[in-house]
Amino acid sequence: MSDIANATSTRQPASPDLSPVARPANAEPWKRKDRAQVVGVSLSAILPALFTWFFGSTLALDATVAVVAIFLPLQLVASAAMGIRIFGRRGIAESLLITATVLLSLMVSVLLLSVLWSVISAGAQTISWTFLGQNNVYISPTTSLEYGGVGHSIIGTLLIVGLTTLVTVPFGIAIAVYLTETRGKARGAIRVLIQAMSGLPSVVAGLFVYSALIATGITQYAGWAGSLALLPLMLPTVARIAEEALRLVPAEYRNGALALGAPAYRAFLQVTLPAAKTGIITAVLLGIARIIGETAPLLLTTFAANNTSFNLFSGSMSSLPTYLYQYISNGNDTSTQRAWGAALVVLILVGILFTTARVFGRAKKTTSKSLTKAKSPRKAN
Amino acid sequence: MAQSKNAAATENGVSGARRQLVTKPFSRADKIFYRTSSVAAYIAVSIVALILIFLLVRAWPALEKQGLNFVFGSTWDSTPEKAIFQIGPMLWGSLLVSLIGLVIAVPMALAVAYFIEFMANKRIAKVATVLIDLLAALPSVVIGLWGMVVFSPIAAHWSELLNQTLGWIPIFANDTENFIGSPFIAGWIVAVMIVPIIASVSREIFSQIDRDLINGSLALGAGKASTFFRVILPTSGGGVVGGILLGLGRALGETVAIFFVLNLVFDINWGQIIAPKGGSVASMILAKFGEATAEELNALMASGLVLFIVTLLVNWLAAAIVAKAQPWRK
Repeated sequence: MSDIANATSTRQPASPDLSPVARPANAEPWKRKDRAQVVGVSLSAILPALFTWFFGSTLALDATVAVVAIFLPLQLVASAAMGIRIFGRRGIAESLLITATVLLSLMVSVLLLSVLWSVISAGAQTISWTFLGQNNVYISPTTSLEYGGVGHSIIGTLLIVGLTTLVTVPFGIAIAVYLTETRGKARGAIRVLIQAMSGLPSVVAGLFVYSALIATGITQYAGWAGSLALLPLMLPTVARIAEEALRLVPAEYRNGALALGAPAYRAFLQVTLPAAKTGIITAVLLGIARIIGETAPLLLTTFAANNTSFNLFSGSMSSLPTYLYQYISNGNDTSTQRAWGAALVVLILVGILFTTARVFGRAKKTTSKSLTKAKSPRKAN
Repeated sequence: MAQSKNAAATENGVSGARRQLVTKPFSRADKIFYRTSSVAAYIAVSIVALILIFLLVRAWPALEKQGLNFVFGSTWDSTPEKAIFQIGPMLWGSLLVSLIGLVIAVPMALAVAYFIEFMANKRIAKVATVLIDLLAALPSVVIGLWGMVVFSPIAAHWSELLNQTLGWIPIFANDTENFIGSPFIAGWIVAVMIVPIIASVSREIFSQIDRDLINGSLALGAGKASTFFRVILPTSGGGVVGGILLGLGRALGETVAIFFVLNLVFDINWGQIIAPKGGSVASMILAKFGEATAEELNALMASGLVLFIVTLLVNWLAAAIVAKAQPWRK
């Protein structure tokens, strides 16, 4: 740009000045912030809370009463007043919408943080290498926390969920293939059915496997029955996210492979599937996260056990959720402590799966962006 | 098929200008590939059918004996001579708890969706999305533990205050001194579990609204509030309703978390939401399953069947509405 300007100036010394005009003072009026306005909004956001805190603590009011009787009315009046000051009368609705949105969102985060904080703070007191490594044999509800733990449950959860994953992932991907790669007539109906299946009550899945396998005498309580009960719960998650992943692969890739003479199955296995790899991994991880804490189906199909068992195909098996259930139901303090510990273990497992899925998900986004970049020039032609 | 279309086209005098290319798998490997995927899809359908059939077969004795009273009656007695199994209070309890859950969850979920989509800057929106996904991934047994140990005392305190100040309204009446184990508390627990579902569906629907509509409304001088209530909500209404129904389906099927915070009583609680008696079909199945007699087991299967049919209908409706509201997915 400056080169061009130089070139013209050397040719014509008397050229008009091309340097940018100074920005007028009233440019971009929407970005201008009235200082009084900023102060007012900040005050209306802070003062009600401060006032409530002050009166609540001096009058020793109950926290709930203070929030409902002092904070909410004050905050609403303050917001409405600021709304009127800035926008006139219609500002009332405006400011109330913003206040309600912020307060309700805060409420959600308080609930979430409360769950996380209670699990982490109470679980951290329980968790230790013995707790992670030992099993529950010879442990009564009142045994001190120095003995016994969730080792057998961790093994059970890994085995049961592992078997479910082995079966469900190819199955779910095949459904995703049906939904994206074929021109089958039932695609719309099956998509809706898969979505509807994701709301299958977990206890019903357990009842189904119980009535089909255990009540008919095909097997006793066993790990593989639990895996089977988890299958219909995991399947919709895997199928739906894998479908999204396959859909992100541009049609040009498939068409290119087919035009080069590849049969459809090789085009899928060697071109489409690798291109959607990260998305599929996300599908698997989120599917596992969906079922790792399922309790009801496992209670009905694997039951609970105290000993460590590696055999998925006979004998009841413990898993983290059933261990949790067992100890929550006991009701005394030591048992609740154990339950918090097991809850923290479950939370850590979910957290690991979740972070890994996030990392892969981010990778997916960059690839899809680069794909669209690669695609756009051709579209312009 | 392609040939017949061509023939029709030439008959109409449009000489093959719109010839449609239809490819069909011809090699054996391709046929296997396509066949496998469609078989998998049909197996998914048959799993749902199988669940229905197995539960129906096992539940038939109980259903045959009780008839319609199974759903509407309110006695559950497993003594062998005069066994009566009816789930009226549990079914109504499930509905009541889910409704309370929805009343609490819908405003929170819509607020979160609106906050993420229209108010927060990109970085905060990203963090909030992750947090909402995390909330969705929390196992229900963990929420149940938190609900029983941490949340129940707090909510019981709220209920007590409600009872003291608004006790003259029938729904806030409570004759007992006990406020733990009420449908109100169970409703809050359910709300914690369905907020992320409703919020993520609504957020996605909000994000797909044509920006020109919103900008047009703002340019015409409408404020944020009227834009939200008159433009955003009406255009995304279908999808949001679908999301709410998905949440309802989840709430109806919630088992373990409710089991720990609700007092199951076989006596219909029509609407005293802070009285310590309520019901939930799913939790009742869990509670009775351990020591059920053979006949009782059939009744539990029948309860599972009723629950499954109700949730399947709700979810089917929800999925159809969401699919219709998201035409870009086709």
